[in-house]
Amino acid sequence: MNRRTFVRHMCLGGIATFGFPVVNFAQTSRGGRFVFVLLRGGFDGLAAVVPYGDPSYRSLRAGFSYDESDLIELTDTFGLAPGLAPLREVWQNNELVALHAMAIPYRTRSHFDGQAILETGIDKPVGSSDGWLNRLLQVMPGQRSGIAIASGMPRSLTGPYEVQTWSPSQLGAVNDAYLDRLSTLYRTDKVLYGRFEAAIQQQDLIGEEPMAGGGARRGGITPLMQAAAKILRQNGGPNIAAVEFSGWDTHANQGLAGGALDRLLGQLAEGLMAFRTDMGDAWANTTVVVMTEFGRTARPNGTRGTDHGTAGAGFIIGPKVAKSVVHADWPGLDTRALFEGRDLKPTLDTRSVLKAAIAATFDLTPAQADRVFPGSTGVRGAYELMG
Amino acid sequence: MNATLRALNGFGLGARAGEQRRIGDPRGWLRAQLQGDAPVLRAPADASPDAIADAVRAFRTVGQVGVTARTEPEERRQARQQARRALVGIAAAESRAALTARVTAERPFVERLVAFWSNHLCISVGAKILVAPFAGSYEREAIRPHVLGRFEDMLLASAMHPAMLVYLDNFQSVGPTSVGARAARGRGQGGQQARGLNENYARELLELHTLGVDGGYTQQDVQELAKILTGWTVAGLARAQQQMGPVGNRRPARGRMAQASIDERLGFSFQELRHEPGAKTVLGVRYGEAGIEEGQRVIRALTRHPSTARFLATKLVAHFVSDEPPASAVERIARVYRDTDGDLRAVSAALVELPDAWTAHARKFRTPQDWLVAVVRAFDAPEAGAASMPLLRQLRHPIWSPQAPKGFGDTTQEWADPDSLLNRAELARTIARRMRAQRIDPRILVEVVDVPAGDPLHTLLADNTIAPDERIALALAGPAFQWR
Repeated sequence: MNRRTFVRHMCLGGIATFGFPVVNFAQTSRGGRFVFVLLRGGFDGLAAVVPYGDPSYRSLRAGFSYDESDLIELTDTFGLAPGLAPLREVWQNNELVALHAMAIPYRTRSHFDGQAILETGIDKPVGSSDGWLNRLLQVMPGQRSGIAIASGMPRSLTGPYEVQTWSPSQLGAVNDAYLDRLSTLYRTDKVLYGRFEAAIQQQDLIGEEPMAGGGARRGGITPLMQAAAKILRQNGGPNIAAVEFSGWDTHANQGLAGGALDRLLGQLAEGLMAFRTDMGDAWANTTVVVMTEFGRTARPNGTRGTDHGTAGAGFIIGPKVAKSVVHADWPGLDTRALFEGRDLKPTLDTRSVLKAAIAATFDLTPAQADRVFPGSTGVRGAYELMG
Repeated sequence: MNATLRALNGFGLGARAGEQRRIGDPRGWLRAQLQGDAPVLRAPADASPDAIADAVRAFRTVGQVGVTARTEPEERRQARQQARRALVGIAAAESRAALTARVTAERPFVERLVAFWSNHLCISVGAKILVAPFAGSYEREAIRPHVLGRFEDMLLASAMHPAMLVYLDNFQSVGPTSVGARAARGRGQGGQQARGLNENYARELLELHTLGVDGGYTQQDVQELAKILTGWTVAGLARAQQQMGPVGNRRPARGRMAQASIDERLGFSFQELRHEPGAKTVLGVRYGEAGIEEGQRVIRALTRHPSTARFLATKLVAHFVSDEPPASAVERIARVYRDTDGDLRAVSAALVELPDAWTAHARKFRTPQDWLVAVVRAFDAPEAGAASMPLLRQLRHPIWSPQAPKGFGDTTQEWADPDSLLNRAELARTIARRMRAQRIDPRILVEVVDVPAGDPLHTLLADNTIAPDERIALALAGPAFQWR
């Protein structure tokens, strides 16, 4: 049995395990695709979507504020950090919503709790809760499957709906007979069998092209975003992906134009743009959301960085965006306006944004979107952001 | 449940071929390992204190990339790269020695405890280049001597070690109204040059090292704790061309002070000038101004907090018993911790006595490091090969390199994703091929993990039509070997 027929055999045999509907290979390039990019570490929204027009900005950030000439102007209040310059094109194309003063619905400055809230989509830390992307897979109708383009399975995708994982491999291929025998062994293990089968199926979908040396970490997020495009643009493949990007916990020396944070932003923008290009025709139905667990302190700390804060920034990118806007109920940076006197005050709930993005991408009703975020019926989706 | 394999794999680091038959009393075998001090691990030749100091000094002399990077002479760029390579080289030698200690351990339970506590109070060499030269000494000197001692001594050693001080930024945290900060402001060095509080370490000390995120502390406690810890820094780390004088003062860099400071002995230093003066209150307890002693007191108090007992007990039971730690077992371990004021020898012994640790439900998915160490131990190899490090990177579990201060997880959910299983399948094949020359009988591998009678692995391993190295790979990549 050659590799391909082996894999097909495995797929069909595994349908029940994966929870795929029986008729599931008829998806066309018109079907929606969704990518959730999680910036782990708490990225500094005020240094990414810069409120240069806020009267308090310069005094608050002091030697840490951007020169206006370095920024990519979006509105007369907000500009993008220089590293995000590649996004100018999506802004001009009416494919970018910059989100600001946004936060998860629970006040914490803990990475762990913050990520748990963002990834489970509920409003308090609950140890056992499913990820919200997994809940989306459970709720939405039609062809769907999810994949983590990440180191291990992120919380956002965990849950009863079986999903796959993929990360760049630098290893040689193995032969089919060996995998076939291993599969026999895995059949005896209730916990691992479904996962092993999913791995083999995924291997076939993405192919075995080795990634450029070093893979994800050295090249920023671009290789991962390119792999995500390769997986998502196929018909019949996964249409929901989670990608993660670490390194945003900038407690010291985060810098300005060309500095440490700006370079990371550059990698993020490059990855997003590479994804957009590589999606080809399928981009027309694709939505990318970029979020982080919390923003950072409004003022710099004592070591030219920022500590854990509250509200921050994020993005929705894709042609399903109604028009390019900065979506924020801007609380201002005046000391009295700051949350607990130190952080940007949250005025926008992450769930409001996520509901709008998934509803537009997958034609969900508001009631369906509400079910993805239990206990959130009081949080209205920002549906007007999407076309 | 095979109790001997549970002891060898669940508490230890992986059975060696034939070892199962040599152990009569699994619990007794574990108890005996807890007698005496933890084995000492000597610094590798390339990582002596002198070698570390030299490499750090060389790095300080050539500096880091500055604003002038574009116009920098090639020679200087190369010197800087060489200095960085030396720092990374120390970490590489250290991590290989640490892995070899696990592979060759005769008291593998103790060695697992070293790895557990080292990960609990983790540092990360990927985070900052200056963590790298200290990472090995951190585990050898701050963690290892205390795994059978007191948690408070371990935590203090961690708090005072350059690796932790650099990793979580405390080395540069300065009291906003400290003498040094006021002097710097007086000299007009405001704005970017002024240094102040950095609360990174204080927060993780509460959230990750002691109380746990629900342990009952506030943002106010984080800030007060950060103030208490100002002045806890590392001597001999500032860049040669950017000495801090007292604080933020660059001028003496060209004078005699700079020379004195570059010869400064590398290591922990409490600098009164940076310490925030006055009383501070953490968790309702007032700490009067007492310099370095404030920090020592508050750290000892944190280790005695009931939330710390519960947090550490939960993590330990989850590590040794199951991803879902039974509440009764957690309570039992927390009580031993409280009753003994954090005596980790007593706590470790209590883990062995937990009935929950000896049931069929007690099993853990092997992390990549666990898996690799178990593979090497199964063949009784004398050391961790040079290929181990890239291999662990490929499996996303390099030594001392977690992505966040929470450390690496140890649950099935975190490690048993589809992609990782396939990675192990491919690596097992590569490892087995490399071992071809050793003509190992594949059947020894059913003795080192729990393979029930009737499992297809028995048939496959005896199947002479399959190449022996492929059979070895099947055993290493098959499901039985993934659990401990």
